[in-house]
Amino acid sequence: MSLHARWRRARAAAIGAVSLGMIATGCGGSSGGSSTDPDTLIAYTGQAGDWQRNYNPYSPDSIGGKGTIYETLFFFNVARQDEPASRLGTEYSWNDDGTELTIDLREGVTWSDGEAFDAEDVAFTFNLVRDTASFNSFGFDGDTEIVSPTQVKVTFEEAAYMDVPQLLGKTWIVPEHIWSGIEDPETDIMEEPVGTGAFVHEEFKPQAYTFAANPDYWDGEPELKKIRFVALSGNQAAADALSAGEIDFQTGPVPDMENFEQNHDGYKIITTPMNQMALVTCANTDLGCEGPQTDPAVRHAIFHAMDRDTLNSLAFQDTASEISPGYTLPERDAAYASAQLENRTASMTADVAQAEEILEAAGYTRGSDGIYAKDDVKLEMSLRVTAGWTDYITAVNTMAEQLNEAGIKVNVNQASFNETTDARNSGNFELAIDSLYPGASPDPYYVYYQFFHSSSTVPVGESTNPGWARYSNPEVDEALEALTQMNPEDGQDARQPYYDTIQAQIEEDMPYIPIMTGGTTSQFNAGKFTGWPTDVNMYAFPAVWSHPDQSEIFRNLKPAGE
Amino acid sequence: MRYYARKLGFYLVAFWAALTLNFFIPRMMPGNPVDALLGKLQQRGGQVGPEAREAYEALLGSDTGEPLWNQYFTYLGNLARGELGVATSAFPTPVSDVIGQALPWTIGLVGIATLLSFVLGVVLGAVVGWKRGSWLDSLVPATTVLSAVPYFWLALIFVLVFSTNLGWFPLNHGYDVALASGWNWEFISSVIEHGTLPALTIVVSSVGGWLLGMRNMMVSTVSEDYVLTAQAKGLRNRRILSRYAARNAVLPSVAGFAISLGFVVSGSIITEQVFSYPGIGSQLLSAVQNSDYALMQGIFLVITLAVLAANLVVDLLYGVIDPRTRVEN
Repeated sequence: MSLHARWRRARAAAIGAVSLGMIATGCGGSSGGSSTDPDTLIAYTGQAGDWQRNYNPYSPDSIGGKGTIYETLFFFNVARQDEPASRLGTEYSWNDDGTELTIDLREGVTWSDGEAFDAEDVAFTFNLVRDTASFNSFGFDGDTEIVSPTQVKVTFEEAAYMDVPQLLGKTWIVPEHIWSGIEDPETDIMEEPVGTGAFVHEEFKPQAYTFAANPDYWDGEPELKKIRFVALSGNQAAADALSAGEIDFQTGPVPDMENFEQNHDGYKIITTPMNQMALVTCANTDLGCEGPQTDPAVRHAIFHAMDRDTLNSLAFQDTASEISPGYTLPERDAAYASAQLENRTASMTADVAQAEEILEAAGYTRGSDGIYAKDDVKLEMSLRVTAGWTDYITAVNTMAEQLNEAGIKVNVNQASFNETTDARNSGNFELAIDSLYPGASPDPYYVYYQFFHSSSTVPVGESTNPGWARYSNPEVDEALEALTQMNPEDGQDARQPYYDTIQAQIEEDMPYIPIMTGGTTSQFNAGKFTGWPTDVNMYAFPAVWSHPDQSEIFRNLKPAGE
Repeated sequence: MRYYARKLGFYLVAFWAALTLNFFIPRMMPGNPVDALLGKLQQRGGQVGPEAREAYEALLGSDTGEPLWNQYFTYLGNLARGELGVATSAFPTPVSDVIGQALPWTIGLVGIATLLSFVLGVVLGAVVGWKRGSWLDSLVPATTVLSAVPYFWLALIFVLVFSTNLGWFPLNHGYDVALASGWNWEFISSVIEHGTLPALTIVVSSVGGWLLGMRNMMVSTVSEDYVLTAQAKGLRNRRILSRYAARNAVLPSVAGFAISLGFVVSGSIITEQVFSYPGIGSQLLSAVQNSDYALMQGIFLVITLAVLAANLVVDLLYGVIDPRTRVEN
C-alpha cells in the first residue's frame, strides 16, 4: 500500500480519534504492558500489518537494514545543500570527460562477522547491481576495476556525473565473501544480515524486529543501544501509541498538529518541505491526450485561480508551503531558482482576474452558467483523486469551488488507489492530483529528468511512470542532456543557464500545475533521546522510512538519561 | 449412502466454482502488483527507472503475457500440488508462509472469542427464554443494542477507555514485542493479556445474536407438549430446562455456530486493525491494496475451505441428528 494512502486514511481516522479524545479528556498516560527500556528507541516506519522477514537491501520488499546495517559509500543529504559525506568511501573524483570515476575507500573497516572490508566488496556490489536487472534502478552500466584494496575505478561509456548520488549514495555495499555464495540474490531474504553499518540485527518477530549497536563500528559504537521497529495497523494506531508514549519516532500526520508538542510531553514535531504537489495534466495531444486541459492557457488559468492559503489551512493543517513553477524547492534549491521565471513562487492567494484574462485572451467566452467555453466546448474537466486520501480529497473539493469562481468546472472523481494509479500511468485522465518526489541528492535535476524528460513519455494507453503528463519538449530534453555532460563539482555557474531554460519552459508549458510543496511531518521523543535533526540543523531528511537518512539520525541519537 | 455421495458431489462443485472465482475476481480489479510496488517505493524517495520496472515485472511474474486461460490451468495445477506461489507484497516469501504465520493468531483469537460468545449466548438465552416475562428479558434489548453498535466504534471506545485511559490492557500487538517469543509462561501470559480486550470486544458485540436466537427458540419449545408432559411427570425444572427444552431449542444455533466457525478463518479485519493484532484479516487487506493476487487467492482458498468444511460437517451431522433431512421426497 502506498504510504500516502495510509497517511490519508489514517488522517480521517485520526480526526475521529480527536473527537474521541475530547470525550475522554485528553491523552492517557499509562499503557498497559509493553516493557520499554530507556535505551531502546521504538520506531514506527508505517508498516501496516506484520513484518515478513527480509533484510535483503535490494529486495523491493526489504523491511530494513538499508543504511543501518548495509552502508553506502557516501551520504547525500536531500534535506539541505551539503557536500556528500564520507561513509565507506573517503573521496571520489572524475576524469575530465566524466567517464572514469575513482573512489578511495575507508581503511580498517570490518564486516559484522569479523572479515575485513576492501575494494573487492565494492567491485562485487557494483557488478551485482549492474548485472541484476531488478537491483539496477538507475540503469547503471559501468565497469568496476580494483586499483588497490582501498581504491576502485568505475568506467562508463558516456559521461555519468548524474549517476553519482544513486551509485554512491543509494547502493548498499554487501560482503563479497557471503554474497558470492548466494545462488539467487534476487530471492534471498538475508535472514542474518552481515554489514558494516552502525547497527547489527538482533531479533526478528513478525510484530517487531530489533537492531542493536555494533560494538566494532568503524566510527565507534553508537550511543543508541537498541532500535525496535514495530508493526502497527496504521496511523490511527500510531497516533494512539504516540499518545501513550509507546513509540519514539514516526513519520506521518497526527491529529491536532498545532498543539502536538503541548499535548505530548517531551515530544517534538518537525515538518520538512519535500514533495511538490501538483495537478498532473494529460498534456500532450500528439500522444492522444484529450480534454480542455491540453490547452496551456487553461493550465495557467487554473494555476492563478487557486487560493493556496485556504487549501493549506483546510486540507493540510498548514504543513504545506510555497512552490515554484520551476519546481525548485524554494528554500533548499534557492541557488538553482531561475531569475527569469514569471512567478518565482506561486501566489498563495487566488488571482481570479488574471485567470479570466488568460482564458479570454485564449478565445474563451463565459457562458450563461458562468463557465467558460470555446468553440461550444465547455471548460469542464474531471479530476482524479484516490479514495481515502483525505487531505487530497479536501484539497481538490476546495479547489473545485475556487476554480468554479474563475469559470472553470472541475468534477472530482474518487477511485481506489489501484484504479487512480492505473489511469494516471496509462494517460486515461484529464487532471489528477499527485506529488513530484525528489531524487537522490539535493539537485532539482532529478525531478526534471524524471518528470519532464521525454525518455519516459509514451502514448496514451501505454503505461508509464513517472512520465504521467506525457510531456515532451525538445528544449528541455536538450538542456537535461547537456547537464549530464557537466560535473556538478565544477560549480553552478556553467550549469545555471540550462536550469534557467528548463524552468522557463516548464513554467510556460506547465504540464504539472503547481499546488504547494507538501510537508513531511515527523514526531519524535526528544525527552528520551537527544541529537534529533532540527530546523537549523537538518543533517538528514527526518523521515523514519527514508533510507539511509534513518540511519544517520540513529547514529546521532544519545539516550537523554546520561 | 446416496445422500452422502450427493452431498460430497455438491461440495466438490462448489469448491471448484469458488476456486474459479478466486482466480478471476482479483484479476478484474484495476491495477497490478508492479505499479502498486513502484508507487510504494516512489513515495519513499526511491528512484525507479523504466528498466527496473521491467525487471520487477519479470521478478514478480506479473506480466508474463500468457493468456488468461493458460494462467488459469497453471493455477489449478499448482493448487493440486499444494503450491500457492509467492506473495508479491512480501516478496519472496511464499504465500503459505504468510498464511501460516498469521492463521494461528486469527484462529486463536477469533475462534476462542466465537466459542465464548456462543456458549455465553446460548446459556443466557436458555435461561432468559425459560424465565420469560421476568426482569431477565431486559438482557435481550441490552445485548442487541451492543450488537447493533458498529463494531469498529465499540472497539475504539473499548481501546480508549480500557487501554488509553485506565491502562488495564495493552494498546497494540498480539504479544509483548520486547519479550523473546517461545513457550514460556512470561510470553504466554503476555499473549493472554494482549488478547483479552480484542476477544472481549468480539464477545460483547456478538453475544446478542446468539442470545436472541436461543431465547426465541426456547420460548416456542417450552410451549411444546413434551415439555408439559415432562412437567406433569414431576421432573425437576433444571432437568426439563437442560434435557428437554434447551436440547431441542439449541439445534438451529448449533447449525449457525458451525457456519460461524467457518468464518473464523476469515478473521476479523477490523479487530486486527483496531488492536494491531496479527492475523489473516490484515494480510488480506494488504494483499488487496498491493494487488497481490497470489496472497489473495491463498487466503480466499483457506476461507473457502473452512466455510465449505464447516457446512459439510453441519450437513452430515444434521443427517445423523435429524433423520428427516435424509429422507427423499
